Amino acid sequence: MYSMSIFYDAIAIALRSLAISGLATLLASTWCVPIAVKLSGTRSRVGKAILGILNASIGLPTVIVGLVLYLFLSRAGPLGFLRLLYTPYAIVIGQSILVTPLLTFLMADSLSHLKDTILELAYSLGATRRQAILTLLRESLPHIISSMLVSFNRAVGELGVALMLGGNIRGLTRVMTTAIALEVEKGEFELALTLGGFLLLTTSFITLLIRALRWRK
Amino acid sequence: MIKLINVSFSYGEKNVLEDINLVFDKGVTVVLGPNGSGKTTLLKVAAGLYKPSRGKVLIGGVNIWDSPPETTIPIRRKIVYVHEKPILLRGTVLYNVSYGLKLRGSDTESSRRKAMEILRRFGIEDLAYRNSRELSTGQAQLVSIARALAVSPQYLLLDEPTSNLDKNRRAILEETIRNLSDTIVVVATHDRLFAEKFPRKIVRLENGKIVDRA
Repeated sequence: MYSMSIFYDAIAIALRSLAISGLATLLASTWCVPIAVKLSGTRSRVGKAILGILNASIGLPTVIVGLVLYLFLSRAGPLGFLRLLYTPYAIVIGQSILVTPLLTFLMADSLSHLKDTILELAYSLGATRRQAILTLLRESLPHIISSMLVSFNRAVGELGVALMLGGNIRGLTRVMTTAIALEVEKGEFELALTLGGFLLLTTSFITLLIRALRWRK
Repeated sequence: MIKLINVSFSYGEKNVLEDINLVFDKGVTVVLGPNGSGKTTLLKVAAGLYKPSRGKVLIGGVNIWDSPPETTIPIRRKIVYVHEKPILLRGTVLYNVSYGLKLRGSDTESSRRKAMEILRRFGIEDLAYRNSRELSTGQAQLVSIARALAVSPQYLLLDEPTSNLDKNRRAILEETIRNLSDTIVVVATHDRLFAEKFPRKIVRLENGKIVDRA
C-alpha cells in the first residue's frame, strides 16, 4: 500500500532538486548573459570559434563534468580546502558549469536576431552603451527566460554531476535523479515512480512555459 | 549643423556612398533618390550610427568618430534618427514615446506628461496604453516619429517617413515638420510629391553619389 511518508519524502526531494537546479541556472546566468551579449551576432573568427565550441559542448556527458569537478573539489584537489564536496553547493556549481554551453549558446542565438536592430534604435535615440545593452536585455527578456528554462530542464534531469559531487546523502544532497537511481537499485519502486512522476511533471510544465513564452514573443 | 566631408561608405567590397560633401543646416533638407541609392546609409552616417569608410562627419563642428565619449554623448543626444521600418520596444505606446526622455534622465512622471503631450499633438493619445505590438504599421510609424520628437532633438533625420502613412497622417507629419523651426530636419525619401512640399533644399542621390542639388 502506498504510504503518505513516501509522498512527503518525494516532496522534500523534489523541492531540494528544484532549489539546487534553480540556483545553478541562476548562477550560470550571471556569466552566460554577458558572454552571450558579447558573442551574439559576432563577425569575428574568435567569436565564431567560441560559439562553435559552445555548440559542440552542449551534449557534454554529465559524468565527465562530474568527474573533472570531483578531482578539483576532492580533498587532494586544488579546491579541496573549500570542503564543498558532498554538499548541495557542489551540485549547484557542477550543474551551473554543465548548463553553461547550452545557456550561452541559446541566449547568444536568440540575442543575435535582435542585437543590431535594438542597439541601433537605442543609439539613434541617444543611449549610452550601458543603456543600449540594458534596452537589449529588456527586449530579449522572454528569450533569456526561455533559454534559462531549457537549461533548468537540463540541470534538473541530470544524474552524473549530482551523484558524483553530491554523494546522494539523504536529507542533504539527495535529488530526484539520484533518489530514483538508488530506489531502483534497491528494488523499491514506489518512491522511484513518485519521483519519476514529479520529474516528468516538472519538465513538462517547464516545456509548456517555454512554449507559452515563445508564443508571446 | 552636420557637415559631411569627402564621406565614403562601403559594405565589404560594395561602395554605397562615394565622396559625399554635404551640409545639413537650419530648415528642412530633402534627400531624394530611388530605392537602393544610399539614402538610408547617408542618414545613418550623418546620425553617427555608421562610421564612414573615408572622410569626416562633423556634428556641431565636432568629429564624432575622433572624440572621446564624454564629448560625443551630449552631441549624439541632440540627433535622432527615425528608421524607415518602425522599431518599437516591448510595452505600451506611452513607454515607447517616453523612452528617449528616460535615457536622458527624465523622471517617470515628467516623461509621461511630455509623451502624452506629443501623442495629443499627433492625435493618437487614445493609443497611449495600447501594446506596441498591436499597432498597424502606419500607427507604429507615427509613434516612432512622436518618440523622436519627444526629446526635442536639434537634428531630426527621418528615413522614408511617409512610406507607411495614409493621406491624413502625411498631412499631420508635413505640418509637424513645418513647425520645427529650431530643428535641422533631414528627410530621405523616394516620394517626389512629398519632397516638393519642402523645396528649399533638395539633394538628389543616385548610386551613392550626389547628382543634383536644388
